[in-house]
Amino acid sequence: MPNRLELSGITKQFPGVLANDNVSFAVKPGEIHALLGENGAGKSTLVKMIYGIMQPDAGEIRWNGQPATIANPKAARRLGIGMVFQHFSLFEALTVFENIALGMDAKIPSRELEARIREVMQTYGLLLDPHRTVATLSVGERQRIEIVRALLLNPKLLIMDEPTSVLTPQEVEQLFTVLRQLAAEGCSILYISHKLHEIKALCDTATILRGGKLVDTCDPRQETSRSMAEKMIGTGLKDIVKPDGRAFGDPRLVVNRLSTSRTGHFDVPVHNVTFTVRAGEILGIAGVAGNGQNALLDALSGEIKGHDREAITIDGVGIGSMDTTERRRHGLCAVPEERNGHAAVGDFSLSDNSVLTARDRLGMVMMGLINSGAARTYTGKVIADFAVKALGPASTAGSLSGGNLQKYIMGREILQKPSVLVVSQPTWGVDAGAAAAIHQALVDLAAAGSAIVVISQDLDELLALSDTLAVINMGQLSAARPVKAFSVDEIGLLMGGVHGEKEAQHAVPA
Amino acid sequence: MPFRLEKRPEPSRTMLYLTPAAAVLLTMIVGAIIFSAIGYNGLGAVREIFFTPLTNSYKWQDLGVKAAPLIIIGVGLSIAYRANVWNIGAEGQYIVGGLAGTWVALATYSMSGPWILPLMILAGVVGGMLYAAIPAFLKTRLNVNEILTSLMLTYASVQLIYYLIRAPWKDPMGMGFPQTRLFAESARLPTIIPGTIVHLGVPIAIIVALVAWFIMSRSVFGYQMRVVGTAPHAARYGGFSENKTIWLALLVSGGLAGLAGVLEVAGPFQRMVPGFPANYGFTAIIVAFLGRLNPLGVIFAGIVLAITFVGGEVAQTTIGLPNAATGIFQSMMLFFLLAGDLLVRYRIRRTAVQPSRSAA
Repeated sequence: MPNRLELSGITKQFPGVLANDNVSFAVKPGEIHALLGENGAGKSTLVKMIYGIMQPDAGEIRWNGQPATIANPKAARRLGIGMVFQHFSLFEALTVFENIALGMDAKIPSRELEARIREVMQTYGLLLDPHRTVATLSVGERQRIEIVRALLLNPKLLIMDEPTSVLTPQEVEQLFTVLRQLAAEGCSILYISHKLHEIKALCDTATILRGGKLVDTCDPRQETSRSMAEKMIGTGLKDIVKPDGRAFGDPRLVVNRLSTSRTGHFDVPVHNVTFTVRAGEILGIAGVAGNGQNALLDALSGEIKGHDREAITIDGVGIGSMDTTERRRHGLCAVPEERNGHAAVGDFSLSDNSVLTARDRLGMVMMGLINSGAARTYTGKVIADFAVKALGPASTAGSLSGGNLQKYIMGREILQKPSVLVVSQPTWGVDAGAAAAIHQALVDLAAAGSAIVVISQDLDELLALSDTLAVINMGQLSAARPVKAFSVDEIGLLMGGVHGEKEAQHAVPA
Repeated sequence: MPFRLEKRPEPSRTMLYLTPAAAVLLTMIVGAIIFSAIGYNGLGAVREIFFTPLTNSYKWQDLGVKAAPLIIIGVGLSIAYRANVWNIGAEGQYIVGGLAGTWVALATYSMSGPWILPLMILAGVVGGMLYAAIPAFLKTRLNVNEILTSLMLTYASVQLIYYLIRAPWKDPMGMGFPQTRLFAESARLPTIIPGTIVHLGVPIAIIVALVAWFIMSRSVFGYQMRVVGTAPHAARYGGFSENKTIWLALLVSGGLAGLAGVLEVAGPFQRMVPGFPANYGFTAIIVAFLGRLNPLGVIFAGIVLAITFVGGEVAQTTIGLPNAATGIFQSMMLFFLLAGDLLVRYRIRRTAVQPSRSAA
């Protein structure tokens, strides 16, 4: 039987960067094939060429043994290539059915389409009510819509781009069951991820890219997570140096019954959030995306200004009604989840981006004028200390890769030596090497006496990093406990909204 | 054939600075073609409008006088537009600034002293600010679009002139003409070059632009305007309030428009007349964009637009071009400029031809 998909000598040149350099590999029918690599290794470019979004400069794509030119995504779908993107393209105000109907290339009578949707859902256990509004669905359920949409076309190759980054452990298991069933039916799967243990559990073959070149094609079951990570980054991986049995100091950040009000149509406010972080402690907040993490970060950073001064205190000083700038002066720095346009301004130089959050704490302003020399010096220090790959303080933030921009942003806040640091998704989409560096920097900051809150959907990250852990679900935060007191199953249930009986009694009537 | 716009990864810096020049050039070419097509001397029109004001040294003082209000208002608008605050009503703020200055001039008619002119200027700036405060209030409190409110307030301000110069402020010796009396000596803007019409407003315009450039590039205020305009979400994270920025942007642009108004009424007009609204406030929108929202660029853009004003008048007398021709040239310039900006940031791609179905 010919290979389902075969790439030979694929090369793609962008101005100034060779995104793919002579990449060749093959995917067999029914194979679950992992595509691994750091950010900027060329995974997305490669996948975009397979899905017809871009054309290779050189090389050949063979489909079922025949040379194929994939002019656009529509042509890819006609060949039998389906793709589920990391970021969903769904209209929140429409129903599941309407969203699927909108995405179909061919016009199918709606009764027939609905019957087919129900059939696909039945076959693969992707249970969803087609008439529910997308806004009411969890992220995992939304992903099912995208998968159903792809499966309706009877794909022979399904491309999944970082599919589990937003799922609970239970949802991940469900997804894997579906993918294994598909593979057993002969559908090949190209699975892009950086979660190595998932790849070990799911995939038959792994192709590893580094710097646009193919490094290795291996059997992930024969490898360790560590050996694959080292192939990805090209050097040995450093462990987080986290001394055991550290003693924590006095409470630094105390949050007492913090609530926000609903600001938009589909956002989730937080309700009566209470926790304490001591000096030297890292508190992890786990949860599936869209459960109030953004509101919590904004309420802590001051972007959402509260009325209750005592709802948030730092070292005993009530900051709950202060704005962002005043809170920074009192020692609270924050890093929101979205890098471009929120934590940094893409069109501005790195130097100007340092002015955004460090201007008051580091004396970059004199009588209303910006001391650009001080901003440049500080930015240079961030670039050097955090090994940010940038030409210098004058490069625009938008010119950096995602991982490098994140290193810069984390460095910008950490080097301000805040007494409290609140970060959301500190290593989202960041490669293993950079993630390790960011984790180490957070641990070091805590060791120096800061209180740190890490909000993340990446459970592995939280388990490795946190001293204590709490779970956020529908805007409510569970009680924080030492991380060792949790089992992964228990966290997964909390993330999915199954609270212990004790919690249920405390639930506020609607 | 279907086309679509595709965002360029990084717009070329050079092209960004070349678009204004290209827009002016295209305006000349297309203008010449259009006016030839409708039976005028097209090349002559371009020559008279764009070159005569430059080659004829007698016209230079006119250029300075026309450019001054355009630059002052254009600088204010360039600051507001940086912050994505779309003050379209600079004309109204210019008028109210002129009226406020007129009020001081009339109230101090029987007095004299060097304090009158500064007081008038202060009144003009405050007047422009107050008039721009209305859209700011409506925007920040009720989220009313500032484009609509500022634009509509312009028409209200024109009616205010008509009312004031027909009734309470009418010149008692004016034989019923709807205008105020000529300002007293102390309320008139002095000329700075003897024997010309070049008044104090011209150097003020240059100083305003230089100061604004320094503030925009070096100060926290300028940073705030830029960051709110570029990335509002990041601005909030950085501790800049959006409402405060809207207020600042409207007050600064309104205050500068008011300044232009009072300099204009105390300089070239020296009294309030029905013809005081001269569309400077609207033309300054083109000036701000042609100057790349950069106060230094606004100086050059102000001169270019002043050339079309002066040249338009020349062309009316020499080759009988209608008055509206100036407006046509000016609007073409804005059109080409905005189109050029779009093409610098996006490229036009023809949607790929669908491969035949047999390929699958």
